[in-house]
Amino acid sequence: MSTFDLATVWRLTLEHPLFSAGLTLVAFQLALALYRRSGWLVLQPVMIGMLLVVSVLYLSGLDYQTYREGASMIAILVGPATVALAIPLYRHLRRIRQLFWPIVITLCVGGVLCVGLTLLISGFMGADMAVLMSLAPKAATMPIAMLAAEQIGGVASLAAVFVMLTGVIGTALGPLMLGWAGVNHPAARGLSYGINAHAIGTARALEEGDECGAFAALGMSLLGILIALFLPLTLG
Amino acid sequence: MILKGLTWLILLQLLGSVINLLLLPALPGPIIGMVLLFVALLVRRSIPESLEKTTALLLQYLPLLLIVPAAGIITSSDALLADLPAIAVGLVLSLVITVPFCGWLMQVLIRRMERKQEDQA
Repeated sequence: MSTFDLATVWRLTLEHPLFSAGLTLVAFQLALALYRRSGWLVLQPVMIGMLLVVSVLYLSGLDYQTYREGASMIAILVGPATVALAIPLYRHLRRIRQLFWPIVITLCVGGVLCVGLTLLISGFMGADMAVLMSLAPKAATMPIAMLAAEQIGGVASLAAVFVMLTGVIGTALGPLMLGWAGVNHPAARGLSYGINAHAIGTARALEEGDECGAFAALGMSLLGILIALFLPLTLG
Repeated sequence: MILKGLTWLILLQLLGSVINLLLLPALPGPIIGMVLLFVALLVRRSIPESLEKTTALLLQYLPLLLIVPAAGIITSSDALLADLPAIAVGLVLSLVITVPFCGWLMQVLIRRMERKQEDQA
């Protein structure tokens, strides 16, 4: 009869590929439960789930490369999910046609200002080139921002963190800032939420109303496409 | 149904990735796949049911999928901490300017368009 050595059991568990996949699933469901119970927009499931995974990796000493290989069965679906973003965009087609020029002008001017200002301010304060290239696509949704950042010489995981921070800060500041600027048209408020704070801003916009939410989703998807198409071409 | 939708998404991503390798190195494969799907929907003028279902499922669990690449921050925490002041000021200051600006611009443009339409009526 063999005797169980706790340390051996622990090592075998850690090294099994399913440990990474299981860890990700558990972390996500804990983060989701916390987000729903608290109702706080700041507790984004990606951010909390990521922090949980990072803490476990840090405490157990498992390196990121091993974790990534084990969890690849989950991560591989990011690609098809990115392709699927075309579906919500197509659903908003009628609204895009109605207010075509206001949307296009605001998106282009706002998008350029958004990327330009961030690069200018952070660059002036001496941020590293790789950090700047990860900051540039921060206004896009996460899968797009991560792909775009890698394409222009940034770091995908840094871009993911910047996207989360932008969404959280933008949504927290949004209502106050829009109030100061006297913006009360729901379409205008919604588009600004979508351009500046992507999915988190869209969730906030939906709380303000249906039209506001639709324009936020619209601003988020269209700016995502603009960033995906033009950022690699201009900065790449 | 979900399998059929997923098959389409994977084939489009594969096509996008091949185009990325052969013709368009600047654009990531999944992004090219997304543009291809959007064009296909424009031509078809409706969303197939299988794609609708798969998309709803995938986008619902998008946060789960993104946790894996986001956890890669553990390998670049040095870069994040080294440039923390520049990052924080850049993020907050740009948002303080662009959030009210985008809303204001859109509102001005909508009102101008509505006034023009009233003049024509």
